[in-house]
Amino acid sequence: MRRRQGKRLNWRKPGLALSGFLLFTLALGLMKGGAGGLTPLLRNHLEVTNAADSMGFGWLMAYLVLSGSPVAAAAVALLSASVLSYLQAFTMIAGSRLGACLVVLLIGCIYILRGHEHWTALTAGILSLLLTGSIQLAALPMGLLILGRGWLDGLSIPALEGLAAGINWGLEPLIGPLAAFLPGWALFVAGVGLVTLSFRLFDRALPQMRLERTDLGQIPRLVYRPEVMFLMGLAITLLTMSVSISVGILVPLSARGYMRRENIIPYILGANISTLADTLIAAALLGDPRAVTVVVTHIVCAAIISLLLILLAYRPYERAISNALAWIARRRNNFALFLGVIFVIPVVLILL
Amino acid sequence: MKILLCTDGSSYTARALDLGVRVARKAASAVDILVVAKRDREEKARQMAEKAAADLETAGIPVAIHRRSGQMTEEVVLQAQAASYDLVIIGGRERRGVMRLLLGSPALRVTEHVPASVLVVKGQARDLKQVLVCSSGGPTSERTVRFAGRLARALGASVILLHVMSQLPLTKSAVLDDLEASAEELIRRGSPEGVHLGRMLDLLATEGRTGHAVIRRGLVRDEILAESREGQYDLIVIGAHITPGLNARLVEDLSAAILLTANRPVLVVR
Repeated sequence: MRRRQGKRLNWRKPGLALSGFLLFTLALGLMKGGAGGLTPLLRNHLEVTNAADSMGFGWLMAYLVLSGSPVAAAAVALLSASVLSYLQAFTMIAGSRLGACLVVLLIGCIYILRGHEHWTALTAGILSLLLTGSIQLAALPMGLLILGRGWLDGLSIPALEGLAAGINWGLEPLIGPLAAFLPGWALFVAGVGLVTLSFRLFDRALPQMRLERTDLGQIPRLVYRPEVMFLMGLAITLLTMSVSISVGILVPLSARGYMRRENIIPYILGANISTLADTLIAAALLGDPRAVTVVVTHIVCAAIISLLLILLAYRPYERAISNALAWIARRRNNFALFLGVIFVIPVVLILL
Repeated sequence: MKILLCTDGSSYTARALDLGVRVARKAASAVDILVVAKRDREEKARQMAEKAAADLETAGIPVAIHRRSGQMTEEVVLQAQAASYDLVIIGGRERRGVMRLLLGSPALRVTEHVPASVLVVKGQARDLKQVLVCSSGGPTSERTVRFAGRLARALGASVILLHVMSQLPLTKSAVLDDLEASAEELIRRGSPEGVHLGRMLDLLATEGRTGHAVIRRGLVRDEILAESREGQYDLIVIGAHITPGLNARLVEDLSAAILLTANRPVLVVR
């Protein structure tokens, strides 16, 4: 009996992963098919016409769906349908990463509203935003330069493109009638919904990781080398494809629910790089070399900036982030100002 | 307590020898003085060692002078490995920037290879009246606090026990109260940090020294250095970094970081 139950559990996770993958591919097809219908909305009503606009748009979209990955996937779909330019897709992905940090912050805010009035509840969210913001700020000019010069143009992942062609052929009978029946924007919105659902299926398909039994089980107490935590964040997020899940894996290590900031800062830096793995898969499945180039540029820029920081200027950077965190959390007014800034910036970007 | 003092005739080791004699007069049962001098400083080093020996003998402490030739760092390590000391007191010029990157730190090399506690004399080297003991809660804390307590009692110094909390909450179920409480509150509440600090204060008391605990929040290395500056401490005491196996490659060596960046004497307890 016990053996039969174990067998069922073993098949459940691959089944969820396969369903998630198929749903992900279908969602990309829907987004790509419906993206053309969004052009009037984006260009005429929202006035998303330049790189700053698309960054603000990606940022606000991520706030709206409380996740960065569906928005980044939408950015490559919009690029693939030629609704966005190269540079616009790049900045929209950057915006999606910044917006995604709000999720952690929002959890902290809910906690405070429920009566636990401690600023400390918000620190993980603020830290995520500060780290992502600082990396994106440095990666933006580098990425725009790489894309402008065409240094990474023409990239593709042939193995995934072949697979995508096969899957698309299989899904065409489903997408075709839907495309004929629904308007473009509805198709796109359905795609965003399905891609979000597919990420949930992926999350449930993840194997259970037990770090507490390893030499890393003392992360809440000991101060680990930044290189170790950076690589760990990179690797675990590559497996889980989500920064919040990747950080969540660390939580059971501490019975009290917290970690040393010395450990979590490089961990998030590493996680910020590999979190784009799902967007890279999306770009490859769309079969568009431009989409692959944009995502690879993003990954390369984030990796270069993060590695330079870790290897050459980690202590001053760590201190600057920690001081900024302390300033924001010191007074309610400071926190209110910070919240105002992170909501105003994307709006200002769209208005530019 | 058996103490090893060292000199090479330089002004840097002169300061260490001077503080070493002041410490040894109050805390030592026996003292060895190691002289490692190049030819141009041989006479100066001899005079410094003999003056220190005379000072200590006046205080009734038996002294032996050992002479070695070679590199100061290597000879201190060899001497400390050959005999059994409780405390080695060294000074010397610290390398900076690229030179430290290429050649390493002499003080760090001594603390890593000497099987005894090492007091590295840096900065002004005033009388050790106020001692800051850093306690991580790890396995070395107990030994560190005991040694610091014994030394502080001999010197008549006051002791502050510092614990730095750099933790941030990651979930809504995090125990937030402990992240904001003072040392006294943590001890009263019986939180893991409070229990640890209470135990360390009891240990200090058994060594004949009372002290009080301080909690700081922020990056561990920065907060230790900030507390040492703000509190105008004369000595920072920290446990040696001993984590055998894979952990040694994974975990940050905080005692080395404090030793290299502090601008006052640092005692690394082994």
